[in-house]
Amino acid sequence: MKSHAKASRRGFFSSITQWGYREKGAAWVFVLPFVIGFLIFNIIPMAYSVYISFMDYNSFKALNSIKLIGFDNYVRLFHDPIALNAFVKSFIYTLFYVPGLILLSFLVATLLNRAFALRGLTRTLILMPYVANVVAVSIVWSILLDPFGGPVNQLLTKLGMDPPLWLSGVKTALPTIAGINIWQSLAFQTIVFLAALQGVNKELYEAADIDGASRWKRLWSITLPVISPTTFFLVITSIIGSFQNYASVRMLTNGGPGTSSRVISLNIYEEAFTLNHYSYASAQAIILFAIVLVITIIQWKGQKRWVHY
Amino acid sequence: MGTLLRKSLFNLFMLLLGVIMVVPFVFMISASLKAPGEVFVNPMQIIPDKIYTLNYETIFHHKYYFHWYWNSFSTVVMTVLLRGLLVTMAAYAFARLSFPGKNIIFLFLLSAMMIPHDTTIVAKFMLYKYMGLINTHWVIILPAAFDVFFIFLLRQFFMGIPKDLTESALIDGASHFGIYFRIILPLAVPALITMGLFTFIWTWNDFISPFIFINDINKQLVTVGLEYFQLEAGKNYALQMAGACLIVVIPITIFAVLQKYFVQGIAMSGIKG
Repeated sequence: MKSHAKASRRGFFSSITQWGYREKGAAWVFVLPFVIGFLIFNIIPMAYSVYISFMDYNSFKALNSIKLIGFDNYVRLFHDPIALNAFVKSFIYTLFYVPGLILLSFLVATLLNRAFALRGLTRTLILMPYVANVVAVSIVWSILLDPFGGPVNQLLTKLGMDPPLWLSGVKTALPTIAGINIWQSLAFQTIVFLAALQGVNKELYEAADIDGASRWKRLWSITLPVISPTTFFLVITSIIGSFQNYASVRMLTNGGPGTSSRVISLNIYEEAFTLNHYSYASAQAIILFAIVLVITIIQWKGQKRWVHY
Repeated sequence: MGTLLRKSLFNLFMLLLGVIMVVPFVFMISASLKAPGEVFVNPMQIIPDKIYTLNYETIFHHKYYFHWYWNSFSTVVMTVLLRGLLVTMAAYAFARLSFPGKNIIFLFLLSAMMIPHDTTIVAKFMLYKYMGLINTHWVIILPAAFDVFFIFLLRQFFMGIPKDLTESALIDGASHFGIYFRIILPLAVPALITMGLFTFIWTWNDFISPFIFINDINKQLVTVGLEYFQLEAGKNYALQMAGACLIVVIPITIFAVLQKYFVQGIAMSGIKG
């Protein structure tokens, strides 16, 4: 009896130690902790947000008094001028942010791709904004761009210009935020472009030189097609990123002046955590996700026209 | 002569571009060393006549400032360690082991990378409250530990390690844990440094998670703490800048030291697109 228990325990023990040697057993030990955590912290919240968006959890109340109300939150969204306006503001922001970011980072990467003495130093300087804290960056830019007496406008006035209101102007707030965010995230895109440019086969350029191709021709027929998968990746990720700008918008303008920079990301957080409209905020967030998904799918389908693998 | 001139002009131009990029930091440091009334004095002095250290002294006597520092530091270190362990283990399995459903699980993880943080923020708040994580530092550490982006990156890196190395170890009787620990991890040190570096910088700079999930001001992390500090300082811009400087200096120093890994890491992640 006793020896039997001992034997089975040894059997259990040895089967555990065997796990490390059997591929399948080991694989589960390696993968399961991550997958379980991933389900808890990523998949359940996603499913739960869809569920919340169909509830009437739009005030601070006990969880057991919450009811399912179907698509009411979604219907309400289409009659809410502030939310609709916020979606439009986000699109406008994307139109400033994405082309600006892609063009500038490509330009800087092209410049950094040359060999020159101060290359290391300039690269460090250009990368620095990327690692800075969003709150610190927002504080310093708000002071620099202060419309009355800020250093930037002092300089512009001295140069005889009529300086803009930057973050305090109804028309200029959104582009200014986009500009600041381009400044901050430029490093990432630049390095990715730089890596792609360094991967272009030099023989292609040599062949083009023999054919007497102009600089533009080289750029247009060699560089751009060869790096197009990278450009595609960067366009997709920066569009997705451009809809998630809550932290910087909140710190720079908090949506103002008026609602001129109230983007959808800000609207969602305000609805959820200032007004306690949890279900309504979730419905807006789901719509936002759906829009981003559709944009990404359209680009995925459209890539055949310009992306060369 | 002509090329020399052209080269120096190009260097000068690039240096100018770099300097323009860091103007806000120069202003930050310069303003933090000025008396509150001197920040906006026209014309602006980059190096103030008299170095004014009272702003920094105020911070050293601040009730919470170094509390936030310590909170952020311990949270970041825990995140780096936990993420490092979980992600490398899973990445090893995806790179080297075969098990049923491997490709489907991997694809599933990748597609979930598309879900924006904003979309699930309300549900996360409810869930974390239910789990008792709200207002603790675990609410930052645990969700960050299960990060798909780095699985992707490390799997790629592990796949590049020659198979002969691990296969001969298997024949010599090493277990998969032994291989993971004694062969794969030591060879992957550059990739691990990249992951640690990014994790450190991103967690240190994160605003949304601590802002939404942590309520007590003494439990807060630096980014949200800095906002509190800014509001407290009111119109004292010099003090605000000193507060900002001390928080930015940490990631910038780490970045300056480990820049090589930073650049490699971004290039690695971007090309995979």
